Amino acid sequence: MNRRRLEEKIMLGVISLLAIISAIPIFAIIINIYSEGLKYVSLSFLIDFPPPPISGGAGGIGPALVGSLILIGLATVIGGAIGFFTGLYLSEYSHTKLAQYTQMFLQIMVEFPTIIIGLFAYSVLVAPLKRFNAFAGAFALSIVIIPYIALNVREAYKSIPYTLKEAAFSLGLSYPKVYLRVLLSTAKRGVLTALLIGMAKAGGETAPLLLTILGTTFTYFEGLDQPINAIPLLIYNFALSPYERWHQVAWGASAVLLTIILTIFIISRLVVKEVKI
Amino acid sequence: MKSGKIFQISLILFIVTTLTIVVGIVISLINSSYPIFLRHGFGFISRSVWNPIEEDYGILPPLLGTLITSAIAISIATPLAISLAIFASEIIPSRLRSFVNNVSDLMASLPSVIYGLWGLYVLAPILHKYVMLPLHNYLGFIPLFSVKPTPTNLFTAGVLLSIMIIPFASSIIREAYTAIPYNLKEAAYSLGMTRWEVVKTMLGYIRSAIFAGVFLALGRAMGETMAVAMVVGNIMNIPKSIFDMGYTISSLIANQFPNAEAYKYMVPALYGGALILFTVGLIINLIGLHLVRRVMVKS
Amino acid sequence: MSLVEISNLNAWYGDKHVLKNINLEIPRNIIFAIMGPSGCGKSTLLRAMNRLLELNPNAKVSGQVKIDGIDVYSDKIDITWVRRQFGMVFQIPNPFPHLSIYDNVAIGPRMNGLVKNKSELDQLVKWALEKAYLWDEVKNDLKKPASMLSGGQQQRLCIARALALKPKIILMDEPTANLDPVAASKIEELMLELKEDYTIVIVTHNPQQAARVSDYVAFLYMGELIEVGETSQVFTRPVHKLTERYVVGKIG
Repeated sequence: MNRRRLEEKIMLGVISLLAIISAIPIFAIIINIYSEGLKYVSLSFLIDFPPPPISGGAGGIGPALVGSLILIGLATVIGGAIGFFTGLYLSEYSHTKLAQYTQMFLQIMVEFPTIIIGLFAYSVLVAPLKRFNAFAGAFALSIVIIPYIALNVREAYKSIPYTLKEAAFSLGLSYPKVYLRVLLSTAKRGVLTALLIGMAKAGGETAPLLLTILGTTFTYFEGLDQPINAIPLLIYNFALSPYERWHQVAWGASAVLLTIILTIFIISRLVVKEVKI
Repeated sequence: MKSGKIFQISLILFIVTTLTIVVGIVISLINSSYPIFLRHGFGFISRSVWNPIEEDYGILPPLLGTLITSAIAISIATPLAISLAIFASEIIPSRLRSFVNNVSDLMASLPSVIYGLWGLYVLAPILHKYVMLPLHNYLGFIPLFSVKPTPTNLFTAGVLLSIMIIPFASSIIREAYTAIPYNLKEAAYSLGMTRWEVVKTMLGYIRSAIFAGVFLALGRAMGETMAVAMVVGNIMNIPKSIFDMGYTISSLIANQFPNAEAYKYMVPALYGGALILFTVGLIINLIGLHLVRRVMVKS
Repeated sequence: MSLVEISNLNAWYGDKHVLKNINLEIPRNIIFAIMGPSGCGKSTLLRAMNRLLELNPNAKVSGQVKIDGIDVYSDKIDITWVRRQFGMVFQIPNPFPHLSIYDNVAIGPRMNGLVKNKSELDQLVKWALEKAYLWDEVKNDLKKPASMLSGGQQQRLCIARALALKPKIILMDEPTANLDPVAASKIEELMLELKEDYTIVIVTHNPQQAARVSDYVAFLYMGELIEVGETSQVFTRPVHKLTERYVVGKIG
């Protein structure tokens, strides 16, 4: 008996230790990013062009921030719309073969390496136009987030009790009114969470942008058919550059990006937490 | 026509859009990569050469790099992910549970470029000084550790990947663990088992979920691009040790694509790499999804 | 002419034949009970009347249901119109939990475009809540969420929600099955009151409830209509052996 008790103590201790070790990096990352990066962040950092690599003033990430906001917005609208209606179909017509196959495809799509999605966007929107462009980036990001949004919207609608659906139909409402007004407001937390997850994904994704938006411009937005920059892509390019000054900008940009992601994450948690009825 | 039918058909338009994209991705991969397979045949996979001047490409090194880094990642992440799942659902008091789960979910949603930056400037130097150099100095006679390490190499990439996939694998295991029927645990305790013995028994019960988590995490590790591209070294050679600098397929694409347009066959070669990555990843993910489904049927 | 005439009605779930050749007439301004053991098809019969059954993709229906002489299964008919003719109250009180008490009643008329302005809607909501005996209890809490009401109040709110559409008939699917006895008896009183202006069809698995509230009763067993008639008649001199055994509690 004593030997078993001892074994229990040791094993549970080891498990706790390993669990704590696996959580250390997230705290280290947040602390490192903010302690290294925040000192470069100021209002002008959010607005200005990046500095020249060697000499020159502080500079900033203005074009990349603008680019990121445009890309996140477009991707959330395009991917959100396709993902939402796809998810609604998956939930409400889940008995159909079409829904079952689509759901399987989406589960595989979630696991697609995102760089492959970048290659696809390159094939259909960059190569034919012979120019890197913002729309190709937004298109790629939309594809990245469609499965996340669709699968989460499906969950949101699935969680509505059947009896509420019956109640809505018994009032003589049409299909669009039942699903897009009455039941949508019942499922709004779940749907909102789905969109927020999509936004966070779109904001942090880098690989597809590498192949679509080019990202080296020193200009703000010039049109959807023109190259554009984005914060994650700037971080990648500057971090791997040989210039110390650009490394600093990369750290500062990371602090900004982390703040964006953390904000979306916290909002999505609050949305879920708000008293469930 | 009935309004329900109209509604259903309008939704189907979106389904068709989604499916068209999925099919389009596969078609474009095949369509853009077949010239390289026509040119080199199986040699594209089995040889180690990257010579744009001669237009000669063989992607064995990045293929090996992908396998090595994800193998390292999985072997580190598996015990940690299982521990984290048990810790969150069994060991800590239930009021702390949501905090730990939130931390784990946050880890899963951090952009990979942030992992990459941190990996490059924080993790790599630490690993270099406190892990890799000592291993090389004292155990260098083992071929695995034979090469004198630089801070960025396959090992660093593997460790960084493990950090990134832990929360993902852990959340799948956690879900299965919390779904265990309570009476099963009661039964185990009623047999006089200690808590650890109960945990051990329950882990056996959810073993397909554990395999599922590991497989899906392996798929993630193989496809991960940015973080790896920042710490793997980006050098084309057959690795002789895990301390060699190298490439993975996805980091090769990220690194080489910007100048690929200049050569006739480099773009097909990169698409070819992506097609191989896609196929391997698809198989692994299908196995993982199959295992998940088995778990769901059981519970 | 009876308010509802059902002829040769059959329904299936997949291959399972759940309603077998039902013929039934429901007169006006009475309470009509459909009773039978669970699984006999009584809820299905209710949902076949307002075509709510079609939400279930496996369900198939054939036959005729006429309300005021209009066949609800006719190709030319608008299904939303059909559902507005039948108000429905469900087994589990199901107000929309995220909406206020007011909005729960207002949602039907508002979305169907039945009112011209806010004050008309206000009047309608007040009228429906009064009809459902709920106005006095909630008139100061109209903006509060419906989920704060008790189970019995929620069920009366659902009755008000149905009344607000000014239906021709009210279908009640075991409306008291999930309520405590006090709340249940309030609903039964309310039904007797509503009978003055409405026709009510109530589905119940409880023969005593049918005996207490209904004027006419139909006994359904394994998808077949065994017996139908005036309640006093059916309970005192049942024609069919099965009915007799059911009303004394030997089946159920």
